[in-house]
Amino acid sequence: MKPESPAFLSPLQRAYAHRALVFALVRRELSARYRGGALGFLWSFLNPLLLLLVYATVFRFVFAPRADVRPYAMFLFGGVLVWGFVSSSLLDAVETFRANGPLLRKTTVAPEVFPAAAVGSRLAHLLLALPVLAAAIAVAAWRGSVTVTPALLAFPAVLALLALAVFGTALALSPLAVHFGDVRDIVGNLLTLAFFVTPILYPLEAVPDHYRPLLRCNPFASYFLAIQDSVFFFRPVPLEEWLAMIGFAAIALAGGAAVFERVRDSLAEQA
Amino acid sequence: MSSPAPAILVNDATKVYRRYGRRPHGTLKSALLSARRSAAGEGVVALDGVSFELPAGEVLGVIGANGSGKSTLLKLLSGIVRPTRGTVDVRGRLAALLELGAGFHPEISGRENIEITGLLLGLTKKEIARRFDEIVAFAEVEDFLDAPVKTYSSGMAVRLGFAIAAHVDPDVLLVDEVLAVGDEAFSHRALEKFSEFERLGRTLVFVSHDLSLIAERCRRVLYLERGRLVADGAAEEVVARYRDRVAEAEGERRLEAPGGVSRIGSGAAAIQSVRLLGRDGRPAGSVETGDSVALEMAVRAPEPLSDFVFGFQIATVAGCVVLGTNTALEGFLAERLEGDARICLRIPSLDLAPGVYAVDAAVHARDGAPYDYRRDARRFEVTAPRRSAGVWSPRRSWEFEGGISWKHRDNGG
Repeated sequence: MKPESPAFLSPLQRAYAHRALVFALVRRELSARYRGGALGFLWSFLNPLLLLLVYATVFRFVFAPRADVRPYAMFLFGGVLVWGFVSSSLLDAVETFRANGPLLRKTTVAPEVFPAAAVGSRLAHLLLALPVLAAAIAVAAWRGSVTVTPALLAFPAVLALLALAVFGTALALSPLAVHFGDVRDIVGNLLTLAFFVTPILYPLEAVPDHYRPLLRCNPFASYFLAIQDSVFFFRPVPLEEWLAMIGFAAIALAGGAAVFERVRDSLAEQA
Repeated sequence: MSSPAPAILVNDATKVYRRYGRRPHGTLKSALLSARRSAAGEGVVALDGVSFELPAGEVLGVIGANGSGKSTLLKLLSGIVRPTRGTVDVRGRLAALLELGAGFHPEISGRENIEITGLLLGLTKKEIARRFDEIVAFAEVEDFLDAPVKTYSSGMAVRLGFAIAAHVDPDVLLVDEVLAVGDEAFSHRALEKFSEFERLGRTLVFVSHDLSLIAERCRRVLYLERGRLVADGAAEEVVARYRDRVAEAEGERRLEAPGGVSRIGSGAAAIQSVRLLGRDGRPAGSVETGDSVALEMAVRAPEPLSDFVFGFQIATVAGCVVLGTNTALEGFLAERLEGDARICLRIPSLDLAPGVYAVDAAVHARDGAPYDYRRDARRFEVTAPRRSAGVWSPRRSWEFEGGISWKHRDNGG
């Protein structure tokens, strides 16, 4: 185990140095996924579109929608779409070394590219689905349900910070999943739990005051509050949320890289 | 250090794989409970203190049985795994042909796979673009470039995998048994490519079970056995040594097959091994007519025996017995046999005609009841500079008298 120069951050540098490969892996993932299907990339639209229609229908005819956030289907849609990115990225990340075992054992590729590509391809899916969100906003605005303001422009920045935080988390989880068989199950269960303790189904205001600090323990809460602010309430994201988002993204990246660096050398033996 | 700078420098490289199969601690929970005490202790030593130095531009072969550490050595050289102890240094750009097409994704096209595999092997996009046509031409997949790789024949996939790797244009190329796949024409072109590397002064390391290939391509060969470097030297010598060892091990394996049809007896005493020792006293599979040889058997008797006879028989493979003898016939009266024993029948001059012979070995009671009787326990070959018919080929000379003259006598062989 010989030490590398700025040691614990080097997985990030290597992931960046091999970005061409990461992009190629993302493209491979996308084109392999849609190859053979008659609708091809259209699925990226259809999936979220169907989701949106289901919400709109269910909360109109079956369940009573929340009164404080209307149209509730649209409120849900933004959060659920982005949450889908978070959870599928992390689930893919814990699988990625098993899936790419042969490559890891037989080539000298830098292993960082695999969690990066796992997160990258889910991000690409999310980006492909965003036109549906844009259309939903446009329809809602046209019907006068919402009033769009420039606060919307914060959304890409929020997404970028979230993607960094997810990548950092993926860097930590993916090698651990190689070493420990139960990491996958733990991650799966935590994600299910996290879906409910993250403000996705409800706005912050719906949480009783004395529980809010608890909600704050969930580092992903800030990102989803910011998403609600930017693409539903169309109000500026408060400064403290920005700081929380930047802070957690930095911690996740540094911590994830440090974990990855520690177990990196044994990946090829065990994946 | 010799004149050209070494391309590969391996010093005391040792690799111990921890023996936990797929799941090291099984679970995070058990890992946390058992804290940290895995480090040393049990493990599989895949490579044990191997050191060598390879000057740039040389071609090195690595041979050894399965599990001898060849692949581990290549993985260390390629940097896929790190040595547990010792150091491994490779200078220059390195490419490893460990498994052709390891990075191929079956669902995407050949074109996309070329790009991604090139990137995986460390090429830049520009370099890939520059070599693209050459790769396609070498692999002969022009017409299938846009078809998904899952529709390729295995031969095409292998060719493409090789073509990409070969065009990485490395300073050091590691090749693991990749020529075993693919057809004759492909192997031929692959070998040509290797020759080209060689001419360009690149360093090559071959791992192969194909001994004739190794002997032909490499001047120097490493021979690994159970993770240790047992020989490092000129190709012919090392390959010959390995061949002897394999022949010997094969014989042992055949002997060790329990309950085979060629083995009968009560087991009161058991033959552990039967070997033919050559002129130099080392096990041999092939000897020359007139050589001084010895037949040797190792016997184990778990319980003491007072009635025992050891016997050897040599026959042609067609079944013609040329020698049959035992300790009773030769006047030895048994007293006691217990534990391990070694019995050696020395033959100062093996006057057998060239051919293949089979050895039977037996340990039995005076009345002939076998304790362990092994037919065809070992085979050996006798060679001679001149052919002769029959089975007996004693030292001999010709004499002529009268009105005979000879133009010439060649020197045989």
